[in-house]
Amino acid sequence: MNSTDRDAVIKVEHLSKRFRIPLDHSSTLKHRMTHWRSASRHRVLEALRDVSFEVPAGQFIGIIGHNGSGKSTLLKILARIYRPDAGRVAIEGKVSPFLELGVGFNPELTARENIFLSGAILGLGRVELHRLFEEIIGFADLEQFVDHKLKNFSSGMEVRLAFSLAIQAHAEILMMDEVLAVGDASFQAKCFDIFARYKREGRTVVLVTHELSSVNKYCDRALLLDHGRLTGDGPAADVTAQYRRAIGLSEEGTRLSEEVERWGSRDVVLTGARMLDERGVEDCNPPTGGFTRVELGYQIQNDSVADFVCVIWLVRDDGQVLAEARLPVSQYAQVGSSQRGASGTIRYDIPEIPLLDGGYSVNIELQGRRDGATYDHLNHAVRFHVVDKGGRGGLIDPGGVWSVVPTEQPVVGWPDQFAATQQ
Amino acid sequence: MSTNADVQLAGPDARPATRLDTLRHYRHLTLELAISQFKLRYTQSVLGYFWSLLKPAMVFAITYFIFVDLFDIKDGTHFYGIQLLLGIVIWTFFAECTASSMQAIASNAALIRKTYFPRSILVIAASMSSLFTFLINLVIVFVIAVVLRQIDVSLRIVVVLPLLIELYLLALGVALFLSALFVQYHDVGHLWDVLMQLLFYGSGVMFSLTYVLQRLHLVEAVGQTKYIPPHYIWIVELMVCNPIMQTIEDLRHALLTPQAPWTELVVTGHLVAVHQLHPLNTPWLLPVPFLAVALILTIGALTFRARARSFAENL
Repeated sequence: MNSTDRDAVIKVEHLSKRFRIPLDHSSTLKHRMTHWRSASRHRVLEALRDVSFEVPAGQFIGIIGHNGSGKSTLLKILARIYRPDAGRVAIEGKVSPFLELGVGFNPELTARENIFLSGAILGLGRVELHRLFEEIIGFADLEQFVDHKLKNFSSGMEVRLAFSLAIQAHAEILMMDEVLAVGDASFQAKCFDIFARYKREGRTVVLVTHELSSVNKYCDRALLLDHGRLTGDGPAADVTAQYRRAIGLSEEGTRLSEEVERWGSRDVVLTGARMLDERGVEDCNPPTGGFTRVELGYQIQNDSVADFVCVIWLVRDDGQVLAEARLPVSQYAQVGSSQRGASGTIRYDIPEIPLLDGGYSVNIELQGRRDGATYDHLNHAVRFHVVDKGGRGGLIDPGGVWSVVPTEQPVVGWPDQFAATQQ
Repeated sequence: MSTNADVQLAGPDARPATRLDTLRHYRHLTLELAISQFKLRYTQSVLGYFWSLLKPAMVFAITYFIFVDLFDIKDGTHFYGIQLLLGIVIWTFFAECTASSMQAIASNAALIRKTYFPRSILVIAASMSSLFTFLINLVIVFVIAVVLRQIDVSLRIVVVLPLLIELYLLALGVALFLSALFVQYHDVGHLWDVLMQLLFYGSGVMFSLTYVLQRLHLVEAVGQTKYIPPHYIWIVELMVCNPIMQTIEDLRHALLTPQAPWTELVVTGHLVAVHQLHPLNTPWLLPVPFLAVALILTIGALTFRARARSFAENL
């Protein structure tokens, strides 16, 4: 393994790839014979246009971009599955041929047979597979199902098997396409452990994913593709921020994206909302444990409004509500009994935000204090993205404190029901 | 298409040790794919692998009943039964091998779109899994022949291996050609079905070359003529050029009995004295079946190589 020299292991120069997509699907000879003279009608899709970059050994690189931006095409050319139309690709080192998990799995074969078949595709020898067999099955936690056909497995079991096999590949360069899209939270946590291990071992990893948080967490560098062009190349955090700006995931929190849902009587309206860091600078990428302030403006439109309450929800991108915060009673007076046209600012400070890596947003509602009528409700008023530099698994940082106290005898024992299992 | 395009694997992959490693990997992969396909072929059936034995046996029973019991056609050669069985086993291999290998690329679309290895491995693996079945069947035919004492073993048996290699290379050449075209033109599947019907009769599965010559001779004898008119001879000459006919005839000769005509003898007319036939003295046709195999393999491999690079995009 040549982790010491930092020479480029992947060199891409002026790479271009076009796809000719036939407009009339002519996969019969008859069509070919009767239309052989007329130029076949097709649309040309420029999947990649003049892309150049180099990847040094041991770098963890992420490729991001919207659907159809060419990122999967690029990965497939690097993996030698597609041929480029123009340009040069030079790769130095053993490449893992896997772009996805479980390639080559056959539902009619047993777990054991699939390990040997899929393992052969991965480049593992028969002797090696025999040696690793117990470990693979053990890691996937499938000891009892070794000789069951794969079609009787749940999708979770299949993914576990695929994953524990894939991590045995000893390639120097790994290419992965959306591996994080499958599996539940605990599986993703396993993936991250493996990524961390690859990083320690100095392997080169090319990762195509939609999960910007994983790119931020694991990649040293990211490439941004837009309609086949390389529009961003730099430190992962910068490029993901550029991408978020480009697709309208607000960096300036006040901008309302298309997905915003808003309703209410508008007796009081929200005039704006934003997120600030401790210096009072707008920042929608707070670090875990950092200070964050949600700030919103209101204006009263109707004299009949006596006083109102402000409610803020912190929502994860998958829709899970993480927290609900209400303006406390002690502060009603400040917003109540105001005249029409009166306005103000409400602040909600989070001294140490406990959230880990991920995309979140703030929902805000202004409601009547007595009847609970909705004056103005806004979903995703601010979108923000927490960046955890520690790369930890899980959802929150509980802020726990560790300590170790040596004693001569064990002081902490088991309750009686566990005592037997201790021996 | 790709004029100035290039994907290089420089450095470690160019080292001889790594290249050997890669070669070993591909060989191992081919074998694993062949074994799994062999297992998969008979999955979901009660009799499983026995179907590969049962199928030629049933075809044999039907053919034998019609030809020997019903019409009393025995083609005049010794041990007709076992020769018929051998012909059917060889034919079954060729038919199944080409039919299943033709689908090798199209039916493995997921594999081709997701991972890289030389695409020909898929076709070779599919043809090898047919070859396993064939070799087992061949051993069974041999055992039956020994039990029935319908065999006359001699040193001729050493020719069996080169003949089997020739037959396999022919099937592989056809499979490479068909599988490459099948990706874009499913028509070749239907076309091949029809062609196989023609080839079945043109390959002497149910009769030997001697029998064809005899029949032609008899027809002419009734017509009071001593000689086969030239417009009949071309059929025989064409059959002599057919490499499947040649391998079936030669395998019968090498494996079973010296009475089965050796292609060479037929072509050079040495059998004439024995059977009092019109001599088919065309020694220049002798290398044609071998050249045909070489040509088909070359065309198949070249067609495959030219189209393989775009398989992932066309599937």
